[in-house]
Amino acid sequence: MATYKLNINSKEYTIEAEPQTPLLWAIRDEAGLTGTKYGCGIAQCGACTVHLNGNPVRSCSLPVSAIVGQEITTIEGLSDDNSHPVQKAWLEVQAPQCGYCQSGQIMSASALLDKNPKPSDEDIDQAMAGNICRCGTYHRIRKAIHVASKEISDGSK
Amino acid sequence: MEANKLNRRKFIKITGLAGAMLAVGFDTLALGSSNSTFKKLMAEDLVNGTQLNPFVTISAEGEVTIMAHVPELGQGISQGIPAIIAEELGVSMDQVTIIKASASRQYGRQSIGGSRSVRSLFTPMRQLGASTKDVLVQAAANKWDIDPSACEVKEGVVYRKGTNDSLPYGELVADASKLELPKNPSLMDKKDFKIIGKATHRPDLAGKVNGSADYGIDAQTEGLLYATIERCPTLQGAVTSYDADAAKAVKGVVEVMEVTRTVYGKKNTGIAVIAENYYAATEGRKKLNVQWDNAEFKNISTESMNADMIKLAQGEGMKHFEKGDFESNQGKKGIDGSVKVKSVGYSLPHMAHSCMEPMNATVHVREDNTVEVWAPSQSPQVQRQFAKELGIPDNEAEDKIKVHLPYLGGGFGRRSMNDSLEECFQISKSMRKPIKLIWSREDDTLQGPFRQISHHRMTMSFNSGDRIGMQHKMVSPAITTQGRPSNGRVPFEVMEAINTHYDFDDFSVRYAEYKNQIPIHWWRSVFGSTNAFPHESFIDEIALELKKDPLQFRKEKLKSEPRFVKVLERLEKESNWNEKLGANEGKGVAIVESFGSIVAHAVFLKRENGKVTIPKVVSVVDCGIYVNSDQVIAQTEGNIIFGLTAALKDAITFKDGAAQQANFDSYRMLRINEAPRDIQVHLIDNDEAPGGVGEPGLPPIAPALTNAVFNLTGNRIRTLPFDLQDI
Repeated sequence: MATYKLNINSKEYTIEAEPQTPLLWAIRDEAGLTGTKYGCGIAQCGACTVHLNGNPVRSCSLPVSAIVGQEITTIEGLSDDNSHPVQKAWLEVQAPQCGYCQSGQIMSASALLDKNPKPSDEDIDQAMAGNICRCGTYHRIRKAIHVASKEISDGSK
Repeated sequence: MEANKLNRRKFIKITGLAGAMLAVGFDTLALGSSNSTFKKLMAEDLVNGTQLNPFVTISAEGEVTIMAHVPELGQGISQGIPAIIAEELGVSMDQVTIIKASASRQYGRQSIGGSRSVRSLFTPMRQLGASTKDVLVQAAANKWDIDPSACEVKEGVVYRKGTNDSLPYGELVADASKLELPKNPSLMDKKDFKIIGKATHRPDLAGKVNGSADYGIDAQTEGLLYATIERCPTLQGAVTSYDADAAKAVKGVVEVMEVTRTVYGKKNTGIAVIAENYYAATEGRKKLNVQWDNAEFKNISTESMNADMIKLAQGEGMKHFEKGDFESNQGKKGIDGSVKVKSVGYSLPHMAHSCMEPMNATVHVREDNTVEVWAPSQSPQVQRQFAKELGIPDNEAEDKIKVHLPYLGGGFGRRSMNDSLEECFQISKSMRKPIKLIWSREDDTLQGPFRQISHHRMTMSFNSGDRIGMQHKMVSPAITTQGRPSNGRVPFEVMEAINTHYDFDDFSVRYAEYKNQIPIHWWRSVFGSTNAFPHESFIDEIALELKKDPLQFRKEKLKSEPRFVKVLERLEKESNWNEKLGANEGKGVAIVESFGSIVAHAVFLKRENGKVTIPKVVSVVDCGIYVNSDQVIAQTEGNIIFGLTAALKDAITFKDGAAQQANFDSYRMLRINEAPRDIQVHLIDNDEAPGGVGEPGLPPIAPALTNAVFNLTGNRIRTLPFDLQDI
């Protein structure tokens, strides 16, 4: 066991863990932020997606020891009141069904829009292909990203 | 009461009113000291006001709380059932706070499956809402000393007709609670519905975009330990040895024990590793080195199963539906002496459910024999079963065993089996500690139970006298007869989605039961997911043999069934079916009735730069009266994707008795880049009784797709899954 200081959503968490513990379990069970989900454990489904220094990563496949000193943002850190343009768009188009994959979907989508505020359908395919939705909400996710893109673009005019 | 009130206020401040339904399971330490039996707030503790029945509570300030008692797994039912109550209660959804209920007998049956919730609850919940309104109106009438018929209700306020006198529900609820609910209240006219039938936003989604929605896997409680279980790769088999000491040597591991999992009467032993954190449990599990005695299951393979089923299809089979005389008339020549008989086989494989939230459970059996459970289950009322195990009398079960009902991260039928709860309960009962059991994705995919495998022998016979005959002979295991001998009857579930309305002169539907050792279980649309593919593909084969347009042929042969014809006509129009396609385009249609609803899809394919895509799917749904139009559309969109995954991605195959696909790398799901960009779902408006919504969109998608493949390429796909880039 070792002690690690993790910077999650601009807050410092001190946790005790084995070095190889996946970041996912540190976030969920040590920091208590359960919005980030376990889906596959092998970086195939994207349910565990968080931002690491602004980039989308699969927290199930990153050992906690490799993360120290870097900025982690989870779904809980996106906004305090569902006011992030991606969250608003997700609600506007009523994207989630069971909702379990949606934290990861939203983190991938928000990272995409940070870098590319006006993504094409092909850009969306590329950025979102790592996130599985078993309920089959892809159609609405695509729509929601376009809605969020419009709000972001309108807002920056 | 004061504590509850304060807590509720504090809670709502944190999460917002719409988030109130997300509360369960988060506020562990809000009530009581560590010595109290029940520290945890149950959902019902958050409700403020006077309860008129287990579902409806109204505060003096007029706030209406409706309990959402049906497990929410994405189908929108936590909005749907309260909406039905609110409609007849005479309040708007803005006035209503929906709180997700616990699992408890007071709500009646809480099990879900078979696209049944709205179908079975539509009338009872309307009656409940209406009778609740009646006592509020009666309370007002008593105050005014008039007959209730002289009152009317608008948005939670009772008015004295023809005057300005009014009394809001909040001022009536105390009196109303003393009145008895009438048994046969009069219900609204459908044309007066203000909520039912409209697109309404779901309150649970607020917590599903910010991580606060509580799923079973998120359960938190003091002193929680984590468990993982190593199970036999051949599903059945006895444990011969394992190294508990090696597992316990891993730092954080606290216990290793044998647990039993019951699957359709068969009890299978697994080895549980319990640790202070989940990672330690998984590391300990790697050290177990379990040896199994499972030689007798090692001959099972998908190949041998398919060979067995093809052999069974040569037999007569049990009769399900017979019209005319297919056996005598097949091959009978027409006037000019010509006849065509065509017989082909179709095959579908085992499938995994692959809920995004893997199977899990959290159970705390305390030293004093009280129990707290988090049941991510389609059948969460486990009190009776657990009480029996603990020797608790049935009439104390509800008091001593509290069951939280979290959101379900998918269900698709898999969560109607409570095997993970059974396993977790055993561990906690033995250790008397709170245990969270998490199945890994590999456990979830490898261990089943699975969607059934099936084989279909399809035969057509038609002659120049226009006598058309069709036979559908289906071979598969059945769900409800597993673990016991066949009784010689066709099990009720196996003939779903076989459409015997087609007006053929000779029509025969037969079933042969295939017994084998692989456990199968309800999987979204169940036998609809296997029967519709051969059935609706073969309708296409017949149409094309007769040189008819597949959609027009269906209209002609279903003309005695107006609901089918209306769906097809609407699809013809909305999909521009009769428009000529480009050289590299294809289209296919299928129509299926299942779970009380009729759904037709038109699938469009395009080949561009050597790559085949599905640019568009157009759907028409007739599910009778529906509650939330947007949720019917969402479920149909979801069914399209779920069905496309089954048609185009991976099968679960068996070799040496074990499933060969373990995770999403080898058991792949359709991804956004492969999904149709244009999905249009159209709803038929009528006054028919509500039909199912969660499943009926699935059965027609595979045949509509493969019919489109034939239209594009001339290749008939008769085995699923297949690769769209290899057609």
